[in-house]
Amino acid sequence: MAVAASSSLRISQVGLRGVVGGGLTAAHVLDFASAFGTFLEPGKGVIIGRDPRASGIMIREGVVAALLACGANVIDLGIMPTPVIQHTIRRTDAAGGISIGASHNGAEWNALKFFGRNATYLSTAEANELLDIYHMKKFSFVEWNQLGKLRTEENALDPYLDELAAVFDFSALRQFRVVVDCCSGTSSLILRRMNERFGLGIILINEKMQGVAFAHEPATNRDMVALQLAPLMKPLGADAGFLFDADSDRVAFATEEGTPVSEEMVLPLLADYLLPRGTGKLVITNCSTTALVDEIAARHSGEVVRVAVGRQAAIDALSIYRPEQIALAGEGTGAIMMPQFRFVYDGIAAMLAVLSMMRERNAKLSAILASYPKYSILKGTVPLVTHRIPALLAAMRERHRDGSASVVDGLRVDWPDRWFHVRVSQTEPVVRIICEQRGEAPRELYETLIEQVRSFA
Amino acid sequence: MPRREHLLKIGVAGIRGVVGEFLTPTLACSFAQAFGTYVGGGRVVLGRDTRASGEMLTHAVACGLLAAGCEVVKVGILPTPTIQVYVAATRAQGGIAVTASHNPPEYNALKLFNAQGLFFNTYERAELIDLYHQSDFRRVTNEEMRRVITDYESAPKLHFRRVLAHVDAGRIRARKFRVALDAVNGAGALITPGFLQDTLACELEAIAVDPTQPFPREAEPKRETLGEIAELVQRCHRDIGFAQDPDGDRLAVIDETGFVLDNDDVLALAVDAALRRLPGDVVVNLTTSSVIDDVAAAHGRRVYRTPVGEANVVETMQAVNAVIGGEGSNGGIIFPAVHLCRDSYTGMAFLLDRMAETGEKISTLAARLPKYFRRYGKVAFEHGRLGPLMQSLESRYPQAEKDRADGLKLLLPEGWIHVRASNTEPLLRVAAEAKSEAQVEKLYQGVLELFGQTSSVG
Repeated sequence: MAVAASSSLRISQVGLRGVVGGGLTAAHVLDFASAFGTFLEPGKGVIIGRDPRASGIMIREGVVAALLACGANVIDLGIMPTPVIQHTIRRTDAAGGISIGASHNGAEWNALKFFGRNATYLSTAEANELLDIYHMKKFSFVEWNQLGKLRTEENALDPYLDELAAVFDFSALRQFRVVVDCCSGTSSLILRRMNERFGLGIILINEKMQGVAFAHEPATNRDMVALQLAPLMKPLGADAGFLFDADSDRVAFATEEGTPVSEEMVLPLLADYLLPRGTGKLVITNCSTTALVDEIAARHSGEVVRVAVGRQAAIDALSIYRPEQIALAGEGTGAIMMPQFRFVYDGIAAMLAVLSMMRERNAKLSAILASYPKYSILKGTVPLVTHRIPALLAAMRERHRDGSASVVDGLRVDWPDRWFHVRVSQTEPVVRIICEQRGEAPRELYETLIEQVRSFA
Repeated sequence: MPRREHLLKIGVAGIRGVVGEFLTPTLACSFAQAFGTYVGGGRVVLGRDTRASGEMLTHAVACGLLAAGCEVVKVGILPTPTIQVYVAATRAQGGIAVTASHNPPEYNALKLFNAQGLFFNTYERAELIDLYHQSDFRRVTNEEMRRVITDYESAPKLHFRRVLAHVDAGRIRARKFRVALDAVNGAGALITPGFLQDTLACELEAIAVDPTQPFPREAEPKRETLGEIAELVQRCHRDIGFAQDPDGDRLAVIDETGFVLDNDDVLALAVDAALRRLPGDVVVNLTTSSVIDDVAAAHGRRVYRTPVGEANVVETMQAVNAVIGGEGSNGGIIFPAVHLCRDSYTGMAFLLDRMAETGEKISTLAARLPKYFRRYGKVAFEHGRLGPLMQSLESRYPQAEKDRADGLKLLLPEGWIHVRASNTEPLLRVAAEAKSEAQVEKLYQGVLELFGQTSSVG
């Protein structure tokens, strides 16, 4: 559902996001970045970078001004993928960082993503503190002779690639013919350098970064994979194809047969690869993710921890466990975090993990996927009437008493071979309905759920 | 009454304040967005002086301009007149200089220019400030967003070429003048040494030409703050010394004996040089010395007087198509044939040219000017008391010719008194001038007595 530009602004624990000009203005950027400068530990560096959106130039100027005014030394990486920004925060022991970019949203959007000292997203407690500072508008602007300094950092990519190279055997991946749809985003920066340094021959499409007109919607989902990437697989004789969003934190893929794969499959696939390899036995995901991940986890004596939908819940869940307990964390959107990379959503690392899995199993991507049982998922939305939501959830729970219910986020009810999840969207005034069944699509359940939700609309 | 300092001022002159708690990046960004809205988008030139807060504010201003749909041309650290020349020459929609001119280093400000590289007129400035307060800014989408481009090279070349068109550079170069420079580590530090050494073939001895360092002296170039350069002129046997303010619009001049010339006399020498070359009248502010009237009269030209402030002088200069103008005590020379703004480079070139033309020392040229004695000072007043004070001053000199364009100026046979309220503090600025030391002292002390004070404040 399209959101009117004027009502697009969202300020929440995950930061600031909106359509530039209509909802998101320069004043919001200045205030939010000033709040972040106030929130951070003083005297240390702050890493910033952006995706190629044209409005990123304006937002960057505002972010730099606000951070300098708070006395922070700003290290600007220029146009740079979000995972590299996060890596640089850790490498340089910076106080934190800001990634300017609206990731998988259309070019007209922009956003600020905030990272703390450990280079991950802020915890809920930290995010609440940042929001409080923003709303109070009491910023710690320093005296004129204490202002921060700006410098640019030209080579953030190589140290990042060094870290990937310590985990993945790049030379062994040369055997694969890989095609990537960069969707006019930042992934081309990493992939080109990867080709240069490690002698890979990754073929890039939509490689040129664009500020206004992206090659297509930068969402990592099956439809976008089907658009340009999947049809190229057979003609190019490729072993695998990958699609990244504008800031390279999410990934989707296509098989060597040219089949676009559901974004839901990234997490189960990597759970299958990572669970037997490390000490971690936990897979952290949200209530809307496919039950295939439970089945795969069970094969490897792993366990799935389901939290509320959204980045914030995943970040908070990660802090509950010790890193060595966790195999991976992620969503059905193609956003995956691995402990090897200190829980940063990193589409590039996810791609390398998929390729490494293919090599180690000596199997084609389609064959690996075919080894999994079939699950069918159905998704829908119904416009909401906010004040009736509690009654709706209570009624639905009552009607589906034969399943096991979870109220971590809205209502999720599980039966042995199927489940549904009804929740309120955080970004649009709608109720989201998802249901899934092992085997064929649960058409009848879906219709019933839609009907039940509508009766409260 | 406690003296209230105005640490932030947003008004028709733009925005100015102490950086930190008062002049914030948020304010600078909003003001720039109002400016970008007012000029209707398009290309806007953005430069700054060397103040520590310049970099931060430049980013905030760029953000506001881009948000309003402007294309931003960053020209880096440059003197204000150089930025103004560049705005006009490149057909930009406007320009912003991040500089607080002669104010102390903790201050900064935005100077705003129109498409001709000139200050907006009084009415335009009122419109802009209304727009700022209404917050109804132009806000462009991603698709309409323009870019930032940089051009650090061409502006000084453009500026110097224009200055040289109005002097005989050949004869200046032939003299190989021995010159001293104090650029106060300001914007001039980057380009003034080149102007004097390379362009005008002077033999240069320079101090305070490191733009990364703080101002080594009070930023305003006046006699009390120029001890070091004056000493340098003497010690190194210079023909002349120049001192700039941080944004290179104001100029002070030291003669070969190490004496800091009155800024009014410097302006008078420049006026004389201009009137020798070109037809037209002269515009100065009400506080500028009568020496200007004498010089103009010698050339048969008229002098127009305006309220204090560069923008006021410029507005009248434009209206009467003046050949030269300025503000005496502030050290500002405005020569429209180069550009309609205060320009220390035109000042330097004019004086060197006159020295080359006449073969005279700068002290000799200054000594030929009619001699006046001046006193300047400030007195504090309480809000509400200003009217009665002004009235009592008027009734003390019933015979005086009165000019009420800016405070009160009383023209007397023996000289004049000018009293005006400061725009920034509850202070009266008092100026007096007469033909003799005794006369000026009498006029000046008379004002202080009347205002119930025996000495002026700070």
